[in-house]
Amino acid sequence: MSADRPHSLWSRAAQRFVRDRAGMVSAVVVLGYFLVALTVWLGLGGQDWGVLGSDSFAPVSAEHWFGTTRNGQDIFARTVYSTRTAFEIGLVVAVSSVVLGAVFGALSGFFAGSWLDEGILWLKGVLDAIPFFLFVVAVAYSLQGHPLAMHVAMIATFWTTTGRYVRGEVIKLKSMEFVEAARAVGVPQGAIIFRHILPNTSHILLVQGTLVFVTAIKAEVILSFLGLGVQDGVSWGLMISQSTNEVTAGFFNNFIAASLAMFVLVMAFNFFSDALQDALDPRKVSA
Amino acid sequence: MAGLGYLIRRLATGIPLILGVTFISFLLMVYFGPDLSFELVGKNPTAEQIAAARAQLGYDQPFWVRYAAYLHEMVTFDFGRSVSTGQPVRGLLADAVPVSLALTLPGFVLGNLLGIALALLAAWHRGRWLDRSIMAFSVIGMSISFLIIIIVFQLLFSSRYGLNFFPVRGWDMSSPGAYLYYVTVPTLAIVFVSLGYNTRFYRAVFVEEVGRDHVRTARAFGAGAGIILWKYVLKNSLIPIITRVMFSIPSIVIAGSLLIESYFGIPGAGKLTFDAVTTGDQPVLKAVVSLTALMFVVVLIINDLLYRAVDPRVALT
Repeated sequence: MSADRPHSLWSRAAQRFVRDRAGMVSAVVVLGYFLVALTVWLGLGGQDWGVLGSDSFAPVSAEHWFGTTRNGQDIFARTVYSTRTAFEIGLVVAVSSVVLGAVFGALSGFFAGSWLDEGILWLKGVLDAIPFFLFVVAVAYSLQGHPLAMHVAMIATFWTTTGRYVRGEVIKLKSMEFVEAARAVGVPQGAIIFRHILPNTSHILLVQGTLVFVTAIKAEVILSFLGLGVQDGVSWGLMISQSTNEVTAGFFNNFIAASLAMFVLVMAFNFFSDALQDALDPRKVSA
Repeated sequence: MAGLGYLIRRLATGIPLILGVTFISFLLMVYFGPDLSFELVGKNPTAEQIAAARAQLGYDQPFWVRYAAYLHEMVTFDFGRSVSTGQPVRGLLADAVPVSLALTLPGFVLGNLLGIALALLAAWHRGRWLDRSIMAFSVIGMSISFLIIIIVFQLLFSSRYGLNFFPVRGWDMSSPGAYLYYVTVPTLAIVFVSLGYNTRFYRAVFVEEVGRDHVRTARAFGAGAGIILWKYVLKNSLIPIITRVMFSIPSIVIAGSLLIESYFGIPGAGKLTFDAVTTGDQPVLKAVVSLTALMFVVVLIINDLLYRAVDPRVALT
């Protein structure tokens, strides 16, 4: 029986992941949120988020599951629609910054010590030296009105961590035998970097992607509160910043709905990311 | 003097970093920041009036001349007057930076000390229920947005729905009592938001140290937990601790408290910077960016010197 047991990194990681109870529960929760986002994308739910109703601060009822806001908008529809916004921001920022970090990190690592490496390291140092919110505020403000301003700002700063990890890993990988073999049979340099070495860092990229996803969702809330976040549509950040005026008047539905929805997703994603790290790198020191 | 030569070399390597930070920031300010020339002129201005306003703001100069002027301002640390308030920039910063420091420092110190204590506890009981619950609570804490924490803490401590002990807005440092009155709720929020991250980070460091052979030997010889954690774990983990603390300093002084400052209406450096970005107040922005970049380089150097102080094997090259 042991002959057909799979041995690749991914199948072993999958086996370990399935045994991780917290990881599996959190994966199911994240999947649930994703399905909610999918229903919004397909136009099946949350479409009435902007409709103004006549009764403001309506209590929880069969018609308004989570009650209504000051403007009589249905809080449940807004919470559901915001799930889509969160996934949009998280996915766009996570995928873009991981790709950016992978490319820069791989080039930097493969040509370690060259002017290209120096240049990329310098850029990373500069981006890290500008305090995060100062930079995001500046970029978001300079592209004001553009719906993707916030995304651009986050991508421009979030890739550096991925870049650092990939660089280190590529430096390790590039002296290994399979790279030497590829070079010996005349594989062009670009193909060696991007087809032979980079795929071997995919476990790093996956974990970094989940971390960036969470960071992006959390940053959105703060940027939206500062008026630099989501421009059109609704998000948990916009709901929370709208609710700051409502909680002082004693109406907590809006605040609780948005906070709780966001908290559960972020927490599930954090546990999911942890389980993923444990499954992919069992040597790593963790619980 | 090897030390002095090291210091000069190190400062020199900081120059590309400073140039990069100032250049990127300046590019953002000049090309994307708001154009203030129409705020200086009256209604229905003539072409000459507009040109005069632009000249006054320096908009008519070519980009490189303006960047060079900026670098000159940075070397002399004289950025002139704020465009929106007319006050000298240096004075504005001298007022705002101490406020930010006084606001964030207690929370920063407490958050790190508590994080280290919890992490030591978790690392010592690694794998057992105490460790697991501390780590689970860390992840839960990391999952709550700072904004939510601030709102909830205000409700709990400063509103009629909670204790109503502390003020909702404002700032006063004239006496220790007033300071305590205004700083308590922000401090609690800062500790809460940072505790999860700190505990996780420090635990990873300590777990590695606890697993080392000399710690196991010390345990086998019957050394107590306090001695081992203090002498062998904490002292040997000083380098990552120093790194984490040092690199938080620039953001504490400049931008770390932006959210708290805008929510509690506190006139600190974060608020000053945010207002400068949104109003296009270039002199203030230039000063803040320069200060940040300089501080970053200084932090890098002090960090290296501290490495050397705690670990004599580290050579200054």
